[in-house]
Amino acid sequence: MIVCSRCSKENQEHYKFCLGCGAELPRQSAKPRSLSVPTPPGGTPAPGRSTNSPRAQARRAEALASAPLLDVDPVPVERQRSEPIAMADRLPPELAPLGEKTAPCPDCGADVPENFRFCHVCGRDLHAEPSGRPPVDPPAERVSAAAVASPPKTAATPRARLVLIRPDGSEGEAFPLSGSRTLIGRATGGLFANDAYLSPEHAEFRFEGDQLVVQDMESLNGIYIRIEPDVPIELFDGSVFRIGQEILQYEAPTAPDPAPDGTQHMGSPHHGYLGRISLVIGRETKGNSYPIPPEGIYLGRERGGVVFPEDGYVSGLHCRIHSEVGHVFLTDVGSSNGTFVRVLRESYVPKNTFVLMGQQLFRADY
Amino acid sequence: MPGKARLIVVRGDEAMGEGLSYLLQASEHVAGREADQIPFPSDNWLSPVHANFLYRGEKLVVRDQGSLNGVYIRIRGAAPIQIGDRFMCGQQLFRVDATPKDTSGPEADQTYFYSSPRRPSAFRLTQVLEGGMEGIVCCAEERTVKIGREDCDINFPDDVYLSPEHARVEMSGESLELVDLGSQNGTYVRIRGERELSHGDYLFLGRNLLRVEVTA
Repeated sequence: MIVCSRCSKENQEHYKFCLGCGAELPRQSAKPRSLSVPTPPGGTPAPGRSTNSPRAQARRAEALASAPLLDVDPVPVERQRSEPIAMADRLPPELAPLGEKTAPCPDCGADVPENFRFCHVCGRDLHAEPSGRPPVDPPAERVSAAAVASPPKTAATPRARLVLIRPDGSEGEAFPLSGSRTLIGRATGGLFANDAYLSPEHAEFRFEGDQLVVQDMESLNGIYIRIEPDVPIELFDGSVFRIGQEILQYEAPTAPDPAPDGTQHMGSPHHGYLGRISLVIGRETKGNSYPIPPEGIYLGRERGGVVFPEDGYVSGLHCRIHSEVGHVFLTDVGSSNGTFVRVLRESYVPKNTFVLMGQQLFRADY
Repeated sequence: MPGKARLIVVRGDEAMGEGLSYLLQASEHVAGREADQIPFPSDNWLSPVHANFLYRGEKLVVRDQGSLNGVYIRIRGAAPIQIGDRFMCGQQLFRVDATPKDTSGPEADQTYFYSSPRRPSAFRLTQVLEGGMEGIVCCAEERTVKIGREDCDINFPDDVYLSPEHARVEMSGESLELVDLGSQNGTYVRIRGERELSHGDYLFLGRNLLRVEVTA
């Protein structure tokens, strides 16, 4: 525990900024081990700032340092989109809005919205040649961890870069994604070496056409991609998402069978809940759970049916879960720090999207 | 001492009507959805054979006959409660659960698990919904959870059978206690096995509310 000298809130060991008031916390000597110099998951810079002049950077750093305090209400900010994202066909499966029409997956038979590139149930690439052969990758130069750790000598212009976003919101080191496949993780060293929340082999980036794709290498803590504000993302049983410091999992409604003698399980009135969301506090362990009423529910720091008053990285009103045509959706409602959805297996990474891995936040520039 | 006790159906089975009373004249009286002596045929929260009212010497006791949903008795003031016990207040049913073991330690490869912020919690309450699905889970902040219609740890503004501050579960020392906060409609705890009854006790069997009268 680190006790904030400004507001007296108790913070977990690895926090660099106070969860209560945003003040910088003293660096505690008690580190889990030498390899771990974790930084808190950064507040992401409010979208809409693109200038990099020193003054702008200073202003931004200042604004972000106090973001938890300032964030009484989500201030409408003009959102910068460097270029419009083509909605058709090019969003990652987790991020694509539900299409009106569905087609059965050839592998598992699930009803997949037509604008999904991958089956959301089994992960099958629906654009792959129907030959039954897995899609052939371009001649693979798999960039090894060691090779990436030092700057590539051949210095072909990298196709993409992961730009570290520091906890204060400023940009840090950029990590090039040059090869056709780039594996990153704690074993990669460099930027990633000191993040104890990254698995040794955590994620692999590759290009499919001109789209960056990330694959989770069965990492412990996963990869999270920030979703567009106001674009509903479908939730499936087991979907995990993150707002501020809170990791939440959606569970579809389930119920045990009635007893064989016809007796029903008694209990509180079931108002037609759409399932529930639970805080993830351990591998198999959940904390508080919240049923989602049929009319949907808002999550925020101050308002909504589920509130996290102690999490300064959550906006006053942050995101919403609701149901349409029998499906359940998550929508960011203009939060400052964003709503991040965990990649199920692999996902497209839209241009200039924020990606959370371990404790670090990156922007995928390409 | 058979014949001295009666059960009054205060709120009950639609088919049987309310205000019905059963004089407990035999030594055993079986209640259930398919029972002969005390039948509640239209309440599917009752097992076919649900409970048995019987005399042990001078005392009237109720025994849960291995029913699915159990027998609930209104507590007077406060009552000890244990992990795994269930209780009702208003229309709400809760189970008392232990705080699970911390499973967030590092992996063999020294990767740390990234979890939501964790706070110390002595126990948790899990709401059980009709049909058996679990609803709200509320981890005690420190050592107590209060339930009511407003300004409590768990609030049900639409449950008209709940008082504004209805009941509280708290850990004192190593033991848990369920406390009724002077509610209008009472707090009921599920009995384990068998329970002695006395005059003025209230019981829930499924949706049926019964009052126990023991005439001297």
